[in-house]
Amino acid sequence: MAVSSSAPLVLEGENLTMRLGGLVAMAEVAFTLKRGEILGIIGPNGAGKSTLLNIITGIYIPSSGEVRLEGQRLNGVPAHKIVARGIARTFQSSRLFADLSVLDNVVIGRHTHTKAGVFDAIFRRRRAKAELEAAAAHAEDLLKSVSRGLHAQRHRPAGELAQADRRRLEIARALATDPKVLLLDEPSSGMDDSDTDALMDDIRAVCAQRPDLALMIIEHDMRLVASLPHRVMVLDYGQKLADGPYEEIRKIPRVQEAYLGRKATQHAGA
Amino acid sequence: MSELFFQQVVNWITLGSIYALIAVGFSLLFGVLNIIHFSHGDVSLLAPFFALSVISALGSVLGDAGSFPVFLLGLVVAIAVTGCVGVLLDLVVIQRFRKAPAMMALVATVALGIVLRELIRHLFPNGSNPHAFPRLVDGDIVLAGFPVPLFSLAVVAVSTLSVGALFFMLNNTRLGLHIKAVSQDRDAARLMAISPGRIFRATFFVASAIGAVGGLFFSSYAGMARFDFSIDVGLIGFSAAVVGGLGSMPGAIIGSLMIAGLDTLVQAVVPNGASYRLVFVFLLVICVLVFRPSGLLGRTLVEKV
Amino acid sequence: MAHPSTQPSGNALSAAFIVIAVPLIGAAFLRQFLLAEDWRLVLGLLALFAVVLVVLERLPALETRIETAFARQSRLALLVGIVVVLGFPFALGGNTYALHLCVISMLYAVLALALNFQLGSANIPNFATGASYGIGAYASALLALNFGVSFWLALPAAAVVATIFGFLLGIPSMRTRDSYLALVTIAFGVVVHQLLNNLDFTGGPNGLVGIPVPELFGHAFSDPLVVFGHALPPQANFYYLSALLVFISIVFAERLHDSRVGLAWNALRADELAARCQGINVTWYKVLAFAVDAFLAGFAGTIYAFYVGFISPDNFTFLVSVTIMTMVIAGGMDNILGVIVGAFLLTLLPEKLRAFSDYRILFFGVTVILFLMIRPQGLFPQRLRRYGD
Repeated sequence: MAVSSSAPLVLEGENLTMRLGGLVAMAEVAFTLKRGEILGIIGPNGAGKSTLLNIITGIYIPSSGEVRLEGQRLNGVPAHKIVARGIARTFQSSRLFADLSVLDNVVIGRHTHTKAGVFDAIFRRRRAKAELEAAAAHAEDLLKSVSRGLHAQRHRPAGELAQADRRRLEIARALATDPKVLLLDEPSSGMDDSDTDALMDDIRAVCAQRPDLALMIIEHDMRLVASLPHRVMVLDYGQKLADGPYEEIRKIPRVQEAYLGRKATQHAGA
Repeated sequence: MSELFFQQVVNWITLGSIYALIAVGFSLLFGVLNIIHFSHGDVSLLAPFFALSVISALGSVLGDAGSFPVFLLGLVVAIAVTGCVGVLLDLVVIQRFRKAPAMMALVATVALGIVLRELIRHLFPNGSNPHAFPRLVDGDIVLAGFPVPLFSLAVVAVSTLSVGALFFMLNNTRLGLHIKAVSQDRDAARLMAISPGRIFRATFFVASAIGAVGGLFFSSYAGMARFDFSIDVGLIGFSAAVVGGLGSMPGAIIGSLMIAGLDTLVQAVVPNGASYRLVFVFLLVICVLVFRPSGLLGRTLVEKV
Repeated sequence: MAHPSTQPSGNALSAAFIVIAVPLIGAAFLRQFLLAEDWRLVLGLLALFAVVLVVLERLPALETRIETAFARQSRLALLVGIVVVLGFPFALGGNTYALHLCVISMLYAVLALALNFQLGSANIPNFATGASYGIGAYASALLALNFGVSFWLALPAAAVVATIFGFLLGIPSMRTRDSYLALVTIAFGVVVHQLLNNLDFTGGPNGLVGIPVPELFGHAFSDPLVVFGHALPPQANFYYLSALLVFISIVFAERLHDSRVGLAWNALRADELAARCQGINVTWYKVLAFAVDAFLAGFAGTIYAFYVGFISPDNFTFLVSVTIMTMVIAGGMDNILGVIVGAFLLTLLPEKLRAFSDYRILFFGVTVILFLMIRPQGLFPQRLRRYGD
């Protein structure tokens, strides 16, 4: 499934630099993401992958450079408004609302698509309730489409889920915001091979249902990086080392040295 | 420079030193445990009551409660016992909240402070009433043409020594290095065969003992020990640590001097200022927090995501 | 836990029985507790209460059954509740002290429900609910004493004033969190107390006296309430007024809890950063929690001021805030019933066990610590939400 070269840009970053104290966490990184494209981001620990995600989602404010969503600058837009504009994310260490039900987690993902405030909740209860129940119905459908197993557990507290289901729930929660861009931070971390395979199938299914959705995936698992993304960007020491299809970037010696290492080199040769 | 002004300056430094002794403990405990031990002020102000008990007990045995050696022995015992109380509180209560949400430890230690205060009120003979507490040293010394109370000099000297010793301990001893290691990364420290539990207990002892010195000075300064002193003093000590930046020792000292300065200024300048002092102190705290949420010297927290 | 809709249907009659029986048993229990003179009886009743709680926890099926019954027969439940609350003063046999304790318990229930929006729903440690209560009381009393404003106008006006202060108190929460925010709220409480204690127009430490008695359609609240020829003591006027306020608070609490706002609060309680990344304006929802808390506390303050007739700064200290916090934690954070039970229990216990009423504050402190250590979810743990039932 290739992305047509004429597909419009959804997200782009330019000259992104992030200084934390004396430390340069990110130096002049630029990237682009087209509609329907899956971009993999790889790099050793501390290469700036998560920093990039945090800049895009408004959690960090870059020291310089800018991020644009469909041409609109996101600098200075607070994190919660960036979600409303269409960028959703998951976290490396899954951050679910553990003491709420699985369904509630997804309903909270509908926050930007619902409106009721304190006044509505108290004095226009019918309207507020109808809105919330519509959100709950939407959330149920979404859970069903992401994973039947997760849907069956929708009334359990999210904290009781198994690791793989937590990841799925995080993805479902992010999808509930109806994003144009979905950022996944190491979705396969802490999973074994069979769980990772199942996860990759789920991500493919999600993309198939939403052909316009653009994805950025930070990953360590080379099997996932080799098969899922259309394009891979390599970060090292906060700088961009390479950017291209996996088949090309894996051949670049500096990339092999810096990140892939011996094991991956063998893997690539196999 | 008028004499009145000079006296106010002396007063400011004396009060600032006393607050610093308590604020440093708040900051140290926060730096190591990453929780607020809200009852630290209440622990510190147990010391005067311990001292009074020891002095009266020794007095009844030796028949000479008023003598200076007995008084001094009372103080030393009080400091040691207060340090142990700190450790005990950690073992019995605070320990349970290491992994709990910050809010729970916070509320629990606020309640713990209330419990300590009430225990004094009910267990100490006549605990609800103020008890006279002797001045450490009486008399003045003439400095630059102005009389300076020896008490103030003693406070400043002992505070400087205590805090200096704490700095030395943190930076130059094995225990200090271990404390720093645990405060930076508990799990990594455990891997280096440092027992965090032992370090926590040591930290509680040191913080509570230094706080006890502050508590004793405060009672000595006020001329009495009261069970409810700890509300104001604890809040001021905590505020000083927050203004300076929790976790930063120099910050705690700067914060204490700022708050003591404001306190002295308000009492000198504003009519009926003594009854408004906390209003001004807390306005300062709120202003600092609104503009610098992690305090003046606090590390700006970048959340790990 | 079984889904309600999978329960066998046709149990409407038994459901109706449960919905009628449970409130009656609860009211009978409260009556005995209020009228108990002997401390042994008080302890016995407490033990009975504990046994009921343990049984309910051991038999989740029974608990679910009761819950389902109330959910299905919600109209009947409301009706039974109203009848029980209206009839309760008649069951006290003119015991004015018991009635007085009811009024105070209900005011605390309102305060605990107010704090629950923050502490329970959003996990914001607010040590200034007592201050908001005081601001409400002073605002209404000053309006009545200086401008002759009637109780019925002072009530909403004071709530508005308290809400404005709530917003102000919430502003630092935009930048600060956890311990820092707790310090700000403690500081706010102390500042309010010191100002009330020192300003001239608040009467200083003596407070305000001679707050006029409310009147409704010519009936002064200081007169006995005569219903169908049966005279209730004057406290009954305030009993019904506070009951109405409790009812309004419950409606507020329930509607907010079951709404998008309650969900957003719960989200930021669980994980503030994750909440932001779901599009929740965390700052706004925190400030909102402060405002709602102050709003309800302001109402409670007004009723207290007009009920007692005189107020002083010592009615609204930091310890009052801690007391309210104890009620929320012991009762069960984010559980409306639990919070109300907590308020009644902790108001009545020190009154009923006179021997230790001197140790009341110690008791509150120990209660908080023990609950946080042993049962942080409180007597009645929070429940998961349901949709479309």
